[in-house]
Amino acid sequence: MAEEERRRRFSNLRSVRWRVDLGILPAPPEASVEEHRRAAADSRRRYVSLKRRLLVDPHVPKEEGRSSNFVVDNPLSQNPDSSWGRFFRGAELEKNVDQDLSRLYPEDGSYFQTPACQAMLRRILLMWCLQHPEYGYRQGMHELLAPLVYVLQVDIDKLSQVRKLHEDCFNDDFDGVPFPDTDMVFSYKPRKEPNWNLGDDNENNSERSSKTNTLDELDSDTKEIILLSDAYGAEGELGIVLSERFMEHDAYSMFDGLMDGGSGVVRMAEFFSPSSVGSSSNLPPVIEASSALYHLLSIVEPTLHNHFIELKVEPQWFALRWLRVLFGREFCLNDLLVIWDKVFACSNNMLLSSDEEYNFRILCSARGAFIAAMAVSMLLHIRSSLLATEIDASCLQKLLNFPTNIDVQKLIEKANALQSIAIDVNTSSSSFLLKRDSCEYDRVHSNHATSTPPRTPLHPVSESYWEEKWRDVHKDGTTPKESEKGNSFSKQLKKSLTQRLGLSRTESDPSPLKVLSVKNNARNSVRRCLLNTLSDDLGRSNEVAGKIQQDEFPIVSVHREPPMSSAEPSKSKAVGENVTVSPLCVAKLNPLKNSVVEPAHENATQRTKCIAEACSSGENSPVFYAASSGNEPENAQDIDSESSSVTSNSCAGDPVIDGILKDDSSDSNDDSKTIQDSEAASSDTSPDQDGIAERAVVSNERKPFISKLQWLLKLGRPSVEGNMEKSSGETSDDKQGVDTSCSSLSDGNSNNSRGTVKMASGDKKVMGTLKNLGQNMLENIQVIESAFQQDRGQPGPVENFSNNILGGKGQITAMAALTELRKISNLLSEM
Amino acid sequence: MVLVLALGDLHVPHRAADMPAKFKSMLVPGKIQHIICTGNLCIKEVHDYLKSLCPDLHITRGEYDEDARYPETKTLTIGQFKLGLCHGHQVVPWGDLDSLAMLQRQLDVDILVTGHTHQFKAYKHEGGVVINPGSATGAYSSITYDVNPSFVLMDIDGLRVVVYVYELIDGEVKVDKIDFKKTATMHS
Repeated sequence: MAEEERRRRFSNLRSVRWRVDLGILPAPPEASVEEHRRAAADSRRRYVSLKRRLLVDPHVPKEEGRSSNFVVDNPLSQNPDSSWGRFFRGAELEKNVDQDLSRLYPEDGSYFQTPACQAMLRRILLMWCLQHPEYGYRQGMHELLAPLVYVLQVDIDKLSQVRKLHEDCFNDDFDGVPFPDTDMVFSYKPRKEPNWNLGDDNENNSERSSKTNTLDELDSDTKEIILLSDAYGAEGELGIVLSERFMEHDAYSMFDGLMDGGSGVVRMAEFFSPSSVGSSSNLPPVIEASSALYHLLSIVEPTLHNHFIELKVEPQWFALRWLRVLFGREFCLNDLLVIWDKVFACSNNMLLSSDEEYNFRILCSARGAFIAAMAVSMLLHIRSSLLATEIDASCLQKLLNFPTNIDVQKLIEKANALQSIAIDVNTSSSSFLLKRDSCEYDRVHSNHATSTPPRTPLHPVSESYWEEKWRDVHKDGTTPKESEKGNSFSKQLKKSLTQRLGLSRTESDPSPLKVLSVKNNARNSVRRCLLNTLSDDLGRSNEVAGKIQQDEFPIVSVHREPPMSSAEPSKSKAVGENVTVSPLCVAKLNPLKNSVVEPAHENATQRTKCIAEACSSGENSPVFYAASSGNEPENAQDIDSESSSVTSNSCAGDPVIDGILKDDSSDSNDDSKTIQDSEAASSDTSPDQDGIAERAVVSNERKPFISKLQWLLKLGRPSVEGNMEKSSGETSDDKQGVDTSCSSLSDGNSNNSRGTVKMASGDKKVMGTLKNLGQNMLENIQVIESAFQQDRGQPGPVENFSNNILGGKGQITAMAALTELRKISNLLSEM
Repeated sequence: MVLVLALGDLHVPHRAADMPAKFKSMLVPGKIQHIICTGNLCIKEVHDYLKSLCPDLHITRGEYDEDARYPETKTLTIGQFKLGLCHGHQVVPWGDLDSLAMLQRQLDVDILVTGHTHQFKAYKHEGGVVINPGSATGAYSSITYDVNPSFVLMDIDGLRVVVYVYELIDGEVKVDKIDFKKTATMHS
């Protein structure tokens, strides 16, 4: 409301309104003319003192007190303090500025190219750059300044028109005593009192020409113009708000207000700086703002956004110009003024409280949000032609040659609509992948699982490697299951992910896909085994590895989930179902136990899914992921989180499993050690509490599974065999199957695993282990098959394969699982 | 605001190897608009080096210069001032002010720059200025004891010229400044 009043108040005087918006003139709607005048005068005084200080003439003799040290102050002096040095630096700046000024608005004619205007612009820019040496002069600043000067000039022209029309109001009358004008023959002139109360003078008009000479008769706008320009009001001539003499001062104040943002959020100067000061991430602010643009676009118009990503069009290629000059180069001057009216009308105050998280700094104020929304609405305007482009060059060409015959009002209306979205997006924690586009990001926003976007630490380069692996495995582009996503945003996310996964990597540095990996981690974490043999590479590995070595963990310790390249959700489901059948537990376990150094993200995802299904279906058969993280820290994190989740959930497991656990624990120390290992692992290296919390949340769904997993860990011991026999007496056949399978696997693989475990660290070990595991898997498959063919419960060559139970119902599924196993083993053997 | 560098008598390579490092560090290209050199460089390499500092280079012939194409005297106009350039070995007695004044009247210049004595001198004389920038390398001279490397930088600004003298004394660069104002009426 107040804003509207302000608008109405100065609707004809752009320069005054802009000065109010930029914070130079007082903002409150009821600010009187005097206050405006005073503020104007103050700003002008500031400018003059600045000028005196900065513009240095080395010829001018110094003050008396100062001893001229010619060693310092000579023209050739390299001393940075010398006034000559400053002079030369100023000369350098001036040369740069002149280069740009000579090309400023050459078509818009004569005004900007006149020497007087050019000189003024040059001085203003020089002054600002000297005042802000950290920014220097950058191309584009002159284009920000030019419209400001233009509106000032326009208003002054308006003033002179008013002056012509209402000459009497500008007469120099002191104390109401009229000065006789030479050409005035009237005996009585209207009295002009300082407060412009001329209500009594109406009757004197009759002797005059048609000019009105009372302020009250004039429309309020003109009245305001006159009041603002009264040479005898507050602050005298310095306070004349619309003054030609002080145009330079006013332009400087406006420029400064625009560049500094008036203690608000959007500071244009930041867009010119290459450093990352002032942005919320480690990116230069303009890059971040460009990515904010893309982010908003992705929400509003995902198809166009994806098109951009496909073509690898980076936002800052065109957004840089748009943002730095506030669309100055895209629209003609008059349209630009309309747009800037709206931009400045939005307040620049920070909308968020200081401790709120936000995604983009630019979107933290209404003005910044409007700017972003304006850019997106421009993109939408040429959407169809953009979507028709095939290569990035043609797309960019269209973007950089924005059509000129457009209805600006429509664009602005659309931008208004988008503005609120932009603000909401800034704080939304249902986080999108902010890095879906190709900009380099360092911040990772957590996924939907948590309510606060944690700032995950920067992952090392290796993570991107796993990203690639994961994508390779997912050649068909299946997206990982998104278990908890329910809102449309996640669907969008999924879609973009799908598209994204099919794309080659962008030229950004490794960090971009961190979010993806984080998401994957969230899913995988649950599946990961707590055991970690090849953690030598990881910081924490020694302890755990040592423990592992002590405990002589079998395969389980070493391996990660196999890359189920061909694994699709359906298959995993099948596997999940297979889990119900005991021998299939072996099948299930085998792939799980295959250690692949590749990221098992997708596997984990599917596994989790199928496991979840299995759990939810009430199956008792545990699905164990004998996944051990390889050499990646993310795996470590996953494992840690998983271990933490396991430990947190351990008490929540099935009662049966608990019973088993208890039995097991009573049997061997190793078991307890296992748990201790995992706990230790988790406690030792739990780098990311957020991630763990995340995964804990995720893993809550999988409690039964986790407890079973834990059980598996225990079982994965050479001494498990004893446990196996014990547990074989347990109620659950499936569990027995698992046990036996574990034991069989352990038997088969323990030697290898042990050997590998004790080997030197490195990928070679993992590779060797993988190969071994593949072979073992194959063996186990054979075992299973033989078991199938033989009578029930009659184990083949593998000992301790007692009480194998092949549920009749499970045979078919068993076969399917076996085929799957085969594939996995093939994969592994290829490695 | 024209910066004019005046130097000479380097005698490279015969009597000196090169200009002092501290001088060379101060002479960066881009600041100076003109260079006037009194002579006795002596070799082409020095000429090229000076050319790299500023493209507008004026040299007169000294007796040891190997390039015989340099003129004996030269006059040029910079801003409001007319400058005259000569090596000075032609003017006998060497370094004598009256004789140099004769040369100045002959050339009809406001500022006369000569060398050969390897000693810095700046006179205000009959409405004009006679400047001897000395030897930029501090080369040996048979007529001067204890030669210090020196050169002169003139800042010509309208009707006023400020002469900065750079001398290397005891390894330190000392700078001095002299103001000259051209009187409205030219000396006859």
